Amino acid sequence: MLTYNKNTFLNINKIIFASLDIREVYQTMSNELSKTIDFDRLTITLITEDNALYEAFVVLSKTYEYTDIKEGDLYLMKDSLMEKVVQTRSPVIVDDTANSQFATDTVLFKEGIRSRLGYPLVYKGCIMKHQKLFHIDEKKYPIEFKERIIGSINFGSKRKGYYSKKHVDFVSKFAPQLAMAIENTRLFNRIKDAEERYRRVVESSPDIIFECTNEGKFFLINPSVEKILGYSVHYFYDNHGNGLSLCHQDDQDRVQCEILQLLNGEKDSLMDFEFRVIHKQGKVVWLSLEAIPIKQDNKIIGIEGFCRDITERKKLDELKNNLIRDVTHELKTPVAKMEMAIDMYKRSFVTEKELSGEKELHLYHLLQNNVNRLKNIIRNVLDISKLESGVERLNLSDFTFVELVDQVIHELNPIAIQKNNTITHQIPPSIILNADREKIYYLLINVVGNAIKFTDHGKVDISARLTPKGIVVTVKDTGKGLSEESLKYAFDKFYKENSSAPGSGIGLAISKNIVELHNGSIWAESGGKGKGAKFIFRLPIHHL
Amino acid sequence: MKDLLIVEDDLEMQEFYRNMLNGEPFSVTYVSNGEEGLKKMKEKKYDLVILDIMMENITGDRLFALLRKDRHYKEVPVIMASSLDKETYQCFQALGKVSFLEKPFTKETLISEINKHLQTLT
Repeated sequence: MLTYNKNTFLNINKIIFASLDIREVYQTMSNELSKTIDFDRLTITLITEDNALYEAFVVLSKTYEYTDIKEGDLYLMKDSLMEKVVQTRSPVIVDDTANSQFATDTVLFKEGIRSRLGYPLVYKGCIMKHQKLFHIDEKKYPIEFKERIIGSINFGSKRKGYYSKKHVDFVSKFAPQLAMAIENTRLFNRIKDAEERYRRVVESSPDIIFECTNEGKFFLINPSVEKILGYSVHYFYDNHGNGLSLCHQDDQDRVQCEILQLLNGEKDSLMDFEFRVIHKQGKVVWLSLEAIPIKQDNKIIGIEGFCRDITERKKLDELKNNLIRDVTHELKTPVAKMEMAIDMYKRSFVTEKELSGEKELHLYHLLQNNVNRLKNIIRNVLDISKLESGVERLNLSDFTFVELVDQVIHELNPIAIQKNNTITHQIPPSIILNADREKIYYLLINVVGNAIKFTDHGKVDISARLTPKGIVVTVKDTGKGLSEESLKYAFDKFYKENSSAPGSGIGLAISKNIVELHNGSIWAESGGKGKGAKFIFRLPIHHL
Repeated sequence: MKDLLIVEDDLEMQEFYRNMLNGEPFSVTYVSNGEEGLKKMKEKKYDLVILDIMMENITGDRLFALLRKDRHYKEVPVIMASSLDKETYQCFQALGKVSFLEKPFTKETLISEINKHLQTLT
């Protein structure tokens, strides 16, 4: 007998959607079903992603204490009742397991099950695709709408030939809902897993990761904040606008201004924005912030990003800066005083002896020349120390390249004329550079000055062209040229082809540092000794 | 005659100042550290102050900041003199009106720098 009414399905549906705890649902469902349909065993089997295996998802035995079929075990699809259900997408009935074509029925027969009914669970709805975290292809949304067979619900009875069409009709009334409930549960678990993975990444980050609203209310902040600033995450969750009030007094305006620009849409992002925050215990912490606005329906509703603790780096920078400043002072002061003394010395014999002594004048020039030489060396050594210590920052601006080149030629022309050299250039006036003007000036002075130094009665030509990789500047001379060895070491500090060569051997090392600070590259080419040289550098163009 | 105060801890540097300002129409007081400088400025209001930057204890920039907080010295012209380069000096500009004299300097530069400030004063 199979008697049921509307209430039977109502009850079953209620149970199916009552909870996301699968065990609980199936236990109550099994109790409810057993009121209507007779079975000794009820199983729900689900197909794996590759369709090769299926999993015994739920095994409920009404009259059995023990069975070999365990929840979570995987079985081969091949030659199983499951395979037939999937292939036909229809219910399959086995009247007697003793004469069954299905491999699994041998086990069931041994355990006393004689007849079976397998009903397909077809899911119609959203499916979440497996994706690796941070490998999400934005074009393919991880959830899609689909209809597919996910498994089957199976009844087993100790009686032979027990199941018939009326049982199939009954199961067909609630199977779709059951499929939906199962898939929803799995979807829920996957979202939970994904969230769990995301949470672990966020929680284990050494940086402060945060999300906050326009008003500065935090809705996400990770525990690193406690390690870095001494305040627990609750401090931020419970209070409004605390981020700003923790900022160092002198930095508050600056921080507020940057954040407002982000919220107004005036800026797309903040990068390496450095500011000070006061730790719970009063000490100063330097943070570097990277942030972007959070958008919803094209409206900016908050910001998200991360803060890195850069206090140690800042301390080191300060130490380096102080050291460089002290060394600069110690080296420059005596030279400055020497220069002032020489000037006074000259004034004394000019006024008192009326330029009488040729010897005095000779001595004066000797002193002056050597002081100048010393000054240049000190300047170069200090410059390279600053560049190499990493404390030097770029002061970027837009400028017309040809104007800078004209200025360099104007500066170096007197020396070029002395050596009977001509300096020419072919720079398109349209080239605008976004770079540190003073440093690029110094770079050109070094490279062009170097070309003049090693050329007599010749030519030095400066040319530039734009390429997709940036601006390429070539300084070509008709001078002494470089040996293969010199090409290799030309940019090394203090390298000189021979000790009597002019200069300190730092100029090109500084040039290399300046180019690299701009993310560019520099190299030298030469046909060999006596065949002239080319110094070429490339600077990337940020915006044009 | 205008009163000048020069705070310079390097006695040899002081000698250069004396040499260059000798015979000029200024009354110059020399002190060799920040503390003495502060003491002198409390005693009397000078028309112009020249500060060395790298000094022990009270450095020139600290002395300058203290000076600007004093209502008598809010507007008094200050020249910072140092062998450090202009980049270092740029950070002092945020503190207020100040000019910079890079060492070494000649007598002409020094006098014209002083006069520039004294003229705007009158």
